[in-house]
Amino acid sequence: MNGPRIVAFGDAAVLVELEQRGVVADARRARRLAAAIDGLRTRDPRLGVPVAAAASVLVPFEPRATDAAAVGALLAPLLDSDDGPDDGAAAGTERVIAVRYGGDDGPDLDAVAMECGLSVDRVIELHAATAYEVLFAGFAPGFAYLGELPAAIRVPRLATPRTRVPAGSVAIAGSMTAIYPQASPGGWRLIGRTDARLFDPAATPPALLRPGDRVRFVPA
Amino acid sequence: MRDDTPAGRPVLEVIDPGLLLAVQDGGRPGLSSQGVTRGGAADSRSLAVANSLLGNAPDAAALEATLIGPTFRALATVTVAVAGAMAGRVDRTGERVAPGTSVTLAAGQELVLEPTGDGARGYLAVPGGIDVPIVLGSRSTALGAGFGGFEGRALRQGDRIAAIGVPGTGQGTRAFIQPHAHWPGDAVPARVTATAPLRVLPGPHAKGLGPDALASLVAQTWTMSSASDRVGIRLDGATLRASATGGLASHGVVTGSVQVPPDGRPIVLLVDHQPTGGYPVVAVVITADLGRLGQLAPGAPVRFQEVTPDDAREALVRSDTAFASSLALLREGVGWDELWHGAGA
Repeated sequence: MNGPRIVAFGDAAVLVELEQRGVVADARRARRLAAAIDGLRTRDPRLGVPVAAAASVLVPFEPRATDAAAVGALLAPLLDSDDGPDDGAAAGTERVIAVRYGGDDGPDLDAVAMECGLSVDRVIELHAATAYEVLFAGFAPGFAYLGELPAAIRVPRLATPRTRVPAGSVAIAGSMTAIYPQASPGGWRLIGRTDARLFDPAATPPALLRPGDRVRFVPA
Repeated sequence: MRDDTPAGRPVLEVIDPGLLLAVQDGGRPGLSSQGVTRGGAADSRSLAVANSLLGNAPDAAALEATLIGPTFRALATVTVAVAGAMAGRVDRTGERVAPGTSVTLAAGQELVLEPTGDGARGYLAVPGGIDVPIVLGSRSTALGAGFGGFEGRALRQGDRIAAIGVPGTGQGTRAFIQPHAHWPGDAVPARVTATAPLRVLPGPHAKGLGPDALASLVAQTWTMSSASDRVGIRLDGATLRASATGGLASHGVVTGSVQVPPDGRPIVLLVDHQPTGGYPVVAVVITADLGRLGQLAPGAPVRFQEVTPDDAREALVRSDTAFASSLALLREGVGWDELWHGAGA
């Protein structure tokens, strides 16, 4: 079995790569490790805010004060706890998002249903029946990667991304679902749309959905 | 957070914004869990030069102009500073304002910035920094998401720019505003943008991409594509020979990451990159060269050179030392002319 691996990411960051076991479990372990590193950071100003992602944690550091080898040695003791039991349910807030499925709001819904060999209603039912967890953030301000999508409605991304996806579009790709907070280019399949405001720079915190939160979709 | 009404006094009006003119400072580090990228000035060293000439903090908010120079009209007597790859020209007097110098404009006078040919971006600082609201800890414009900076957008004709400091008097800013200060020394980054290769360390996925990937990155001269922006610099050339370019699980990325998408045409991430990415990273530009990366212009030849971590550290120390000694000279009031003549040139 391979444990976590620490690799240099240029002269100002290291990447801690976790062994991949499953999307929800991996993201939880990454968040737990990032929280531990963040604790270390409060006592060690050479470290930057860690970036938890699908199955890794990026740890920026001040290159004038330390280097990748020293940061790797500093982090190594934290990795021993990686094999601890999955602590299950996330501690985040529960959010309910009202979605208008299909039609102009979800232009890919019919094609998704065809590809999955399901009726449109069944795709909506499966998407809305699942309790998702915010695994990590990243694509854009307020964009949350939610998992895990039911196996019956998993489809690949578009071969050619759209140049403009409307704000509030509810989308799926692979084992994840997400909402586009702002109009942007995007390659995920659009199945619906919400009026929820996903990102407000004047709010504290600005993102509606934060890593660890639980999300349910309800047909509007 | 504060209200939206700038308390500072308007000092400049935008007559022509050029291609892209936006407020930038040191950016917003540490907000990746909100999906927010760091952003900020693409060439932070030039930002620091412009600010230092006015006694501002190095990462105070200034204007970043891209490729086509903007034109301003002074609304009051104001000392401004220019740095990076643009030079100024004052109307009526015809006075030239080299990058790395400050100039005092009289009310009504116009200042035109023009590319020097050394790079893509010029910086214009005002006393105390530009007065726009602080959003999520920064005055930078997040152009993609539309927040921060001047109403969350690039500047347009007719916009009025306010300074935090009181223009012309030095009051409200630090003491060493000089009407015609010159950045002393040769540490103006735009001077070295043109031909030197960008130094890189092997990226976290260099091994997984196979031995040819990094070798073919450094072996050829790439051309910066016009389909580049503050998010990423796309490179045209022979495709990178990589043994595997499949998508990885999304991971955090840094400015200077050289990503290899499935088509084998590398993308070098710039300051507005997304916090996470899924393409393998074959190499990472060293910190000392990030300012030069931010100065690359479309069509420019781009070369990479592999270095060691020790080389990277040494390059950063050298760059910091040059900047610090120039800053010390500026504070002592030793101007460029004096150094120049002292050196017998």
